[in-house]
Amino acid sequence: MGLQTYIITQIGEYSLDSSRELQLFVRRLGGYILMVTRTGPIILIDDSQAHALAGHPLVGFMGPVTLNPRGVAADILQRIFAENLSKQLEVEMSGDAKPAP
Amino acid sequence: MGIGKDLLDVPFGDMIFSMANAIANSQRKLDAASLRTLKTLAGTKFDFIPEVTEVLSPKPLDPITVGGSTITPTGVDVKVFPSPPIKLTLLQAGLVPQFYQFTESIIEVKISLSSKLDISHSSEVDIGLEIDTKVEAGGGLLSFFGGPSGSVSTSFSSHVNIKNSVTYSYSAEGSSLLRTTLKPVPPPVRFMPRFITINALVSPPTVNTSE
Repeated sequence: MGLQTYIITQIGEYSLDSSRELQLFVRRLGGYILMVTRTGPIILIDDSQAHALAGHPLVGFMGPVTLNPRGVAADILQRIFAENLSKQLEVEMSGDAKPAP
Repeated sequence: MGIGKDLLDVPFGDMIFSMANAIANSQRKLDAASLRTLKTLAGTKFDFIPEVTEVLSPKPLDPITVGGSTITPTGVDVKVFPSPPIKLTLLQAGLVPQFYQFTESIIEVKISLSSKLDISHSSEVDIGLEIDTKVEAGGGLLSFFGGPSGSVSTSFSSHVNIKNSVTYSYSAEGSSLLRTTLKPVPPPVRFMPRFITINALVSPPTVNTSE
């Protein structure tokens, strides 16, 4: 089905280090971080990599989500997602970071 | 063994039941996962700053001299006043779980049966007659009277070859294909809470209900 947005709940106490480790793993699998919350990140990843990501020891639960355009802050979320995505794409285009194929 | 009987032996009923059972179980697990996602979204809060007020005010810069005349550039001072953040869940904000539904399922069974019966019969008869006459001279009573003495032997032989062969071959090949389509669908109305927003900033207050 291609790229899909997921919310991940992180196992254990949230910390910057653990969150960073999870985010790096997502990037290694070719995914993108759309937003980070204390529960866990909201990510964009190819469905074929979702299973591998779900097996990471820091991932407690992973569920597909979609944006309801009529939500109270849907436009804000969309903007946050777009900004974070564009930053990662810029880094990727500059060759500093390459996600896994 | 009849071909019709073989076709009847294909367990269509079991296959359909197994597939329907698997789809029902999968659907239940998918719905359970979506509900869990719904709970996660409803429990994940973030600081939502609904408004950011920017105040632009003049801030004159130091005068500069250009071409013999002194100009005082009009600078701008920008002050940013974000409104106090409010806690908003991701569900309130507009993130909803993705639901999936099995929309179409196909069971395709292909069976190829062939039977072949070869009957062949061959017989071969071979008859042989052999007469062997042997005359010996002298000896015995006949020889007493001056006649010859001797013996005659006859042998008869025959053989019959009969070959019968019956060959029966039967082969059956079958393949089955189970295909189902999974599609994302909007969240069921009963699963999703309704958001009722009362805007008291305007007079009279407005009520907005979103599904």
